[in-house]
Amino acid sequence: MKTKLLYTLSLAVLIFTGCEKLEKRHADIYTPVLTPSNPVSDTAPLSGNIKGTMLSGKTYTINGDVIVQKGDTLILQPGVRVNVTNGAGILVYGTFASLGTHENPNWLTVDGVVRTDAVNANPNTDPAFKGLWRGINGSTDCNMIVLKWTHVEFGGGAAGATIGAALGIANNKNTYNIYFQNPAGTLIVEDSWFYGSVDDPIRVTGGKIAILRNTFEKGGLTGGEAFSCKGGTVGNVAYNLCVGMCTNAIKISNTGGTNIQTNVRVYNNTIINCGWRRAQVGRGGSVNFEEGAAGKFYNNLMVNCKYGPRVVTSPPADTTNLDYGNNFNYGDSLAVTNQFYPPTYITKPKTSDIPKPNTFLPATYKLGDVYDGTALVGKNNPKFINGPAPLPAGATLKGIAVAGTYNFGLSTGSPCIAAGYTGFAPTGNIPIAANYGITELTPPGRDIGAFQTDGTGNRH
Amino acid sequence: MQLKRNLNFKFTCLTPLFVLIGAYSYAQTLKGKVTDGITGEPLIGATVSILQTDQHKTVLLDGGYSFKKVKPGSYSVQVKYLSYHTQTATVTVKKESETLKDFALIPQINELNDVNIISASASNESRSRSIEKNANQLVNVFSARTIQLLPDITVANVMQRVPGIVIDRSNNGEGRYPVIRGMDKRYNTTLVNGIKIPSPDNNNRYVPLDLFPADLLERLEVSKSLIPSMEGDAIGGTINMVMKDAPRQLLVQANASAGYSTILNAQPFQAFDHSVINKKSPGEINGPDYNASPKDFPAGNLSYRELKRPINKTFGLTLGDRFGEQKQFGVIVSASYQDIYRGTNTNYFFPNTQPGLENTPVFADVYLRQYSTQNKRIGLYSNMDYLINAKHKITWFNMYLRTEDFQSRATVDSVRNISFTGPGNGNVNLENRSTWQIQQIYNSTLKGTHYLSKRFIADWSAVYSAAKNEIPDYASFTTQHGVSTDANGKQTETTYYLSSMSRRWTHNTDRDAALYANLTFNPKQVFNSKAEFKIGGLYRHKNRDNYYNQYDLDPSVPSGSTNQAYTDIFNAQFAFKGSDGGKSGDINANTYNVQEDITAGYLQGKLNPIPKLEIIGGLRVEHTRNHYETVQPNTVQGKAGTIYYTDLLPSVQFKYSLTAQQALRLAYYKAISRPGYFEIVPTLISGEYYNEAGNYDLNRSRADNVDLRYEFFPGAADQVLIGAFYKRIKDPIEAGLAQVSGTNTTQVLKPFNYGAASNYGAEIAATKYFGHFGVSANYTYTHSRITTPKSYYYRKPDNSTGFRDIDQTRPLQGQADHIANLSFIYKDPALGLDAQIAYVYTGKRIIVVSPYYGLDYWQRPFNQLDFSVEKKVMKLFSVYSKVTNITNSHTKVDVLQPNTFLSGRDRLPMQEDTDKILVQNTFYKPSFLLGLRYKFN
Repeated sequence: MKTKLLYTLSLAVLIFTGCEKLEKRHADIYTPVLTPSNPVSDTAPLSGNIKGTMLSGKTYTINGDVIVQKGDTLILQPGVRVNVTNGAGILVYGTFASLGTHENPNWLTVDGVVRTDAVNANPNTDPAFKGLWRGINGSTDCNMIVLKWTHVEFGGGAAGATIGAALGIANNKNTYNIYFQNPAGTLIVEDSWFYGSVDDPIRVTGGKIAILRNTFEKGGLTGGEAFSCKGGTVGNVAYNLCVGMCTNAIKISNTGGTNIQTNVRVYNNTIINCGWRRAQVGRGGSVNFEEGAAGKFYNNLMVNCKYGPRVVTSPPADTTNLDYGNNFNYGDSLAVTNQFYPPTYITKPKTSDIPKPNTFLPATYKLGDVYDGTALVGKNNPKFINGPAPLPAGATLKGIAVAGTYNFGLSTGSPCIAAGYTGFAPTGNIPIAANYGITELTPPGRDIGAFQTDGTGNRH
Repeated sequence: MQLKRNLNFKFTCLTPLFVLIGAYSYAQTLKGKVTDGITGEPLIGATVSILQTDQHKTVLLDGGYSFKKVKPGSYSVQVKYLSYHTQTATVTVKKESETLKDFALIPQINELNDVNIISASASNESRSRSIEKNANQLVNVFSARTIQLLPDITVANVMQRVPGIVIDRSNNGEGRYPVIRGMDKRYNTTLVNGIKIPSPDNNNRYVPLDLFPADLLERLEVSKSLIPSMEGDAIGGTINMVMKDAPRQLLVQANASAGYSTILNAQPFQAFDHSVINKKSPGEINGPDYNASPKDFPAGNLSYRELKRPINKTFGLTLGDRFGEQKQFGVIVSASYQDIYRGTNTNYFFPNTQPGLENTPVFADVYLRQYSTQNKRIGLYSNMDYLINAKHKITWFNMYLRTEDFQSRATVDSVRNISFTGPGNGNVNLENRSTWQIQQIYNSTLKGTHYLSKRFIADWSAVYSAAKNEIPDYASFTTQHGVSTDANGKQTETTYYLSSMSRRWTHNTDRDAALYANLTFNPKQVFNSKAEFKIGGLYRHKNRDNYYNQYDLDPSVPSGSTNQAYTDIFNAQFAFKGSDGGKSGDINANTYNVQEDITAGYLQGKLNPIPKLEIIGGLRVEHTRNHYETVQPNTVQGKAGTIYYTDLLPSVQFKYSLTAQQALRLAYYKAISRPGYFEIVPTLISGEYYNEAGNYDLNRSRADNVDLRYEFFPGAADQVLIGAFYKRIKDPIEAGLAQVSGTNTTQVLKPFNYGAASNYGAEIAATKYFGHFGVSANYTYTHSRITTPKSYYYRKPDNSTGFRDIDQTRPLQGQADHIANLSFIYKDPALGLDAQIAYVYTGKRIIVVSPYYGLDYWQRPFNQLDFSVEKKVMKLFSVYSKVTNITNSHTKVDVLQPNTFLSGRDRLPMQEDTDKILVQNTFYKPSFLLGLRYKFN
């Protein structure tokens, strides 16, 4: 009876929103294309100090480390392609903005790489993990890095002298696709694609952040998270699709001694087959809240991850400022289902979680206990429109590392539909703006996962 | 002995003997003192014989001899002592009375009679007392003979016997650096024959004293105050190792010993093959752009074999003689070799980089570690002198020291922040590390002394020194497995998976060239008494090169569903992260060159304005210029820099002689301590807990020092010293946490100047001999305080968390409030027996200063008991034994916070106290040596 009522209600909501869409006013108004005062030339490969605007439709080559100096801005108009050679990278003391659009995305990549995206591909020889360039690196006083509808691929190469010195890491240590390290600065990554990385696709040691509606594939060879942050990080990580991350998909920590506590809201992310390239026992999983971190995690959808969300106990996350629930776990093997609530951690089972904790945890269950997940194997399929659940025959857990042709939208009857929690708002104070702000700060969705049945959320 | 008798024959005044024997009474005594005819020092061990009765006595520790129950009569009494002219005198012993006869022997070669040149026989303890008594500055002296009888075989361990000194130990239990009166190693200076030597330490100026075999020394002087003619960078003190001068006649000394470290019974010595190690990194061999492959790193030095009961060996040889018609050319060469195997067992709880809220201690790992360390030390020196004539002397000193350490470390690391349910459950990392460290010091000093006229003496030294440190292929690798306990309590282990590997090459070289020159003027009379004026200076150029290159490798990832299982290191497959991971690493961080030029000059006067009062004082000026260059790109602030400054260092000392044996001394001096070379280079290196960076804004520390001492030398080797000191140190250098560029969340440990520190204390030292027995005791109280800001992690009123600084006042690192030494000595020159039990007490002290408030690491009071004995077995031979650490003292370290780790999930091993957390427990067990010594002259 109850379910019927729920279905009726949902249908009503659907119709209502549908009608709203139908009645929405549309207008196409001419906007002048302003000629940038300082266009970047594409006639010769770029290196050294660069500022100005890379123009729509052009392809640029970076063949040595590019530096955006303090007070300078480098803008990529929609439809710019940047090919990096010689393993170079971008170092940002000022502002960097790649302003792709749905129709005209931007590319920061290495040309001519043959991808090996078959199921069970060998990571040792996969170009995704080779670190073919050094990524985009903000200095400690970098003002802003903005990426909208931008592909960032194959990053994480050794830092080299210039970027290494600026980041304070050795020149033969890996970088990230994006590195940001200014708690007073702003990092906005919306609707973008990250493919391949030696370590974390995005590493933040402090910053005001918005990581919204992105797709992450093949992040980290022997370690690495789609998004990993340390102390001084405040913002939202939402509606991201993470497939085949090495360690966790999202790690939130407050280490580093900054006076701004890390506080991140992690919601409506879809996390597929993460944690399996990480060799160490007990490392890798899905979402981690660690050492002193505050925030929330709701509505996340985990499929065949090494561990369910973990609230770490030693040293503990800031549990007095940490709320969570409505998280969904699916597993095709006992090794996975036994770790929905990872033993030895202090993730509290919530009645809003799926599967419902009281259906499989013993009455005597104490926080961090081992439990028997046998009954959960293959149960509660999230019913993707087309996804690796159950695990395709012949595929290893490690073997699913790209989104490929999958469609992680929810089909009718998915237990994730309308199982989300919408009773909170995103945090932070980054302005909404077309270029130097957030395009759309999507609030928590009613469906679990990144792809909402109402078409909102991740639009990849 | 026959040989020597013949040699000495022509110098010996043979008095015709005429003897009258009185035969009635035996109540008569013949006694007296035997002294050096020039210095007045007692000659302990000299033989006094009554030729007619063939009775012999040895001069005892109080400097006297005595024959009892001598029949009245006239005797020929002969006194003999090495390197002195034998003296014979006719003595008439009268009935029923005590006859006194003192002897003053004349040395065989007349040394240039200069207070600055100390004669060659200065190796006994009474000579040490004499130097202490007559020195211009406050000094403690240990003679070669004293050192030989100590249980210690390195200078570092000898240092712990000196009043007011604590020794910092390396991880194999060997003493390494002295803390003098609570002043950390950075505040002290090391000299050899009065010449400053460079350090092979990769970051710092201070010289590791375990590089010096104790048997090379003529004597060890520790000066606790400065006079203008001494270098000014010794706030704590100056350690001067004086090597032997050429002897007056043929000298042959040799010793050899063998021994064993008993810890190796329980903990087999893990040896590795160092022959596969490349002294140069792949980047050095092939250029810094070379992208190394895992094949460039041999596995053999990470494979271990057990050595069963390895034997420790030491060997020493000293040869010396004088040549030429007038014996004008003297030479001495000395060699020492030590090959010592040690074991260390330690439990250590590794602190999390950041504590919990309200700075509650959090431990990331529990380490169980076993070290196997082989130290191979070689020490060589030669000293040659040439007496051009009575007025000019040239000496040429050369010294070479080389210490090789082969160390393997096996760690069982129980990870506490991942999958940890309780002790023994969770992730376990097994780490093996192999290091081969080669440290070398070379010094060559050519010195001239010239009596220009009756009133002027000039001396000069031209010095070249080098110090080198190499740690080729500092290699470690880790495997990892999980341990879990099932419902029945049965423990299961997962497969061992391969984890990371790291290889690092570091080396640094210091080259010093220096010139010292002094001119001494002795005016006829000032204030109706003797006076001395000195003027002099030095110039030293130092060139230091530092090289650092590290490679980090990960296991290659198999395509299958499992990770790479570990079988052995030869089958382990590693890969670099990313395509350029095999290029030279960190060369931009700790590869640098530093040049230092020190120019100094001084003016010093010594006056006796009134009888009994001696004043010595003056002014020293030191100019320091540092220039450093790194290989950082041009975009980096502080890539290179030049820093220079001048210091005016006045000092004055008053010595007031209360009696011939008692004196009061009052000293004031100003001293500095320069930052270490690495400390001014601003680049980042990865440290054990934090990244570390230098600070080019660092100031040298400057200190005002006041000392007061009462001295009493009642007998030949007896002494009482009571002193007090006060030091005020401006800009002391301590490490503190800093954010990179102020805003970044990556914390680095960086040296800073912190306001001012104070340090005061008192010390008392006493030595007393009762015939064959002696007691030597000293006690030092030290109280130092420094206030530094420390980080505090707290919850703010808005319920979020943050960090703020809280000022914390604490003792200086390494300072113990209470330090004591107690030795019982037995010496029987007739039997040729020497024995000593030595006890050292070091009070509670901070050994690691935490950058966080209230989380310093405190070492508990430490007791050590050592024993040594030596017995003459034939005329020229003696056997000896040294036993150290008899009671197997444990080094225990605490964090002084309420102990929340006594029970439950977070329980830590070995906890006993509720008011403190034991974080380290290390032991080495006793070790012993058994040896044979040969001594000719």
